Amino acid sequence: MQISAQPNTFARRLNPVFLVSRSLALLIVLFLSALVVIPLVVLVSVAVKSPVDLLNNPMGWPARFVWSNFADAWNNAALGQALFNSVLITGSTVIGLIVCGSLAAYPLARFSSPWFQRTYVYFLLGLIFPIQLGLYPLYKEMHDLQLINTYYGVILLYIAINLPFVIFLYAGFIKTVPRELEEAALLDGADRMRAFWLIVFPLLRPVTATVAIISALSTWNDFFIPLIFLQADGMQTLPLAIYNFVGQFNNNWALIFASVIISSLPLIVVFLFLQRYFIRGLTAGAVRG
Amino acid sequence: MEEATIVIEPVETLEVTVTPRRNSRLRQIRAQIPFLLPALVIFTAFVIYPILGSLYYGLTDWDGLSPDLHFVGLSNFQQLLSDPSVFTDLKNTLIFAAGVMVLQNGMALLLAIILDGFLRRLAFLRVLFLIPAMFSALAIGYTWSYIYNPEFGFLNTLLSKIGLSALQQDWLGNPHLTLASLIVTNSWEFMGLGMVIFLAGLQAVPTELYEVANIDGASGWQRFRHITFPLIAPAVTINVVLTLIGSMKTFDLIFVMTNGGPGDTSESLALRIYTEAFTLNHFGYATAVGIILTLFILGLSVINLRFLRKREVEF
Repeated sequence: MQISAQPNTFARRLNPVFLVSRSLALLIVLFLSALVVIPLVVLVSVAVKSPVDLLNNPMGWPARFVWSNFADAWNNAALGQALFNSVLITGSTVIGLIVCGSLAAYPLARFSSPWFQRTYVYFLLGLIFPIQLGLYPLYKEMHDLQLINTYYGVILLYIAINLPFVIFLYAGFIKTVPRELEEAALLDGADRMRAFWLIVFPLLRPVTATVAIISALSTWNDFFIPLIFLQADGMQTLPLAIYNFVGQFNNNWALIFASVIISSLPLIVVFLFLQRYFIRGLTAGAVRG
Repeated sequence: MEEATIVIEPVETLEVTVTPRRNSRLRQIRAQIPFLLPALVIFTAFVIYPILGSLYYGLTDWDGLSPDLHFVGLSNFQQLLSDPSVFTDLKNTLIFAAGVMVLQNGMALLLAIILDGFLRRLAFLRVLFLIPAMFSALAIGYTWSYIYNPEFGFLNTLLSKIGLSALQQDWLGNPHLTLASLIVTNSWEFMGLGMVIFLAGLQAVPTELYEVANIDGASGWQRFRHITFPLIAPAVTINVVLTLIGSMKTFDLIFVMTNGGPGDTSESLALRIYTEAFTLNHFGYATAVGIILTLFILGLSVINLRFLRKREVEF
């Protein structure tokens, strides 16, 4: 990295200490890459093996690719319904978070009077407390409001839980957006809400992408809330459907892994497209946190 | 009236700094209500209200559903202090958190330093190391349960293939190894997140410092010890605190892989809260355990922040 700034680059490259340290670094990266890749290869290879193949040859490459494992997992674990539920719940949560989060963050980032400061801190309190703490009063509240085993109950809950981080991300970004444009619109007589959606919101596109990928990840993969609030047949999301499926077929590893792959693939594809925004969001959280 | 506020409002807010009147400030707040209301209502109803409620239910013998609920004062906490199994859970939680903090952050830092160096152009490596974090803890839990399986698992098969059968273990079933196996799996899943944060820290270190060090003939280790490590202190702080909070709350992975077993050798406080409430119907007691867990998370985070912030330097 900084070596290029050195006048003696060539001499350094031939230096044995330099060569050893580079090879060592390369070895470590190779080792850690293998550590990441091997379990994923195991996951995929088990998912496409026949039961006999898996028994005789637990480690090697499959003798024959049994693609029907995916269809069997899909049917036996009722993954179609679960996929629908997961897409509906994750999609609505992400949209709800983008709307509520950007709206709330806007005045919190724009005004510095104590009332807005205190409101901002109030939201950030949600980052500190573990969800387990309020779980029982929450269970009673959800029960009393008849929100257990409903889509909108769980969606509201996910929005509430993710709001603090989303507001934090939006507020940080809005502070970097110049005020001139919206102020011009306001002087022209547009009302605040219109000015926000027409002028400010389009400028927030990068952070909206970050919010989308981070909140989709935490909602799609969540197991705890469905375990408690979505137990009814036909309401389960993918992680819970797989958990119940494993309870019934606990030795059929090929089908278990096929269902795990089906449930994970959509999000991994989304991540590969939005990974830049994901990394940016993590970094923004780290730098200001 | 409505119209009047809408037209005057922006002008007022612009001038607030010039003429700070109480009236205009109130009007400013009122004008922002439509922006804040949805978030405030949802967040208060589903996060703040339950948290405040837990402070109350922790003082009752509530069983979860019956309207019959008695105020029992601090007796849940007394019971908790005389319950040795809660101390086992606390011990397990702290060992797990300490193990994850060291292993996960260690691997993340090593990776970040190497990937920030001469492999910087290979951006796909960063994406690769983030992929495990895209899976649910449930998916990771099943994958690693299979890898750790004592009879046909990948790890033991691999060990016997390379002639190290002596090292074969019942990775999750052996009480001495259970927590360590869980720590490895958790660190494997999340080390990519730590790596990204360390990379951001490394990129903020001014390169001139390294150039000066090179001219002074500093070794690689000396450069790391005296330049890199002190200057990425903010990234260290955030990673340590994030892994601390995250690992103390871990539920899914342990629930799926061992469900606290064998015996209670891997039962964490988060798992205990779930069993107390949803299998034993001891909601009041479970809430008391939740309060203890929260106090530990808050206390340890504050201690860590105090300690780590001290070594952060301005540059």
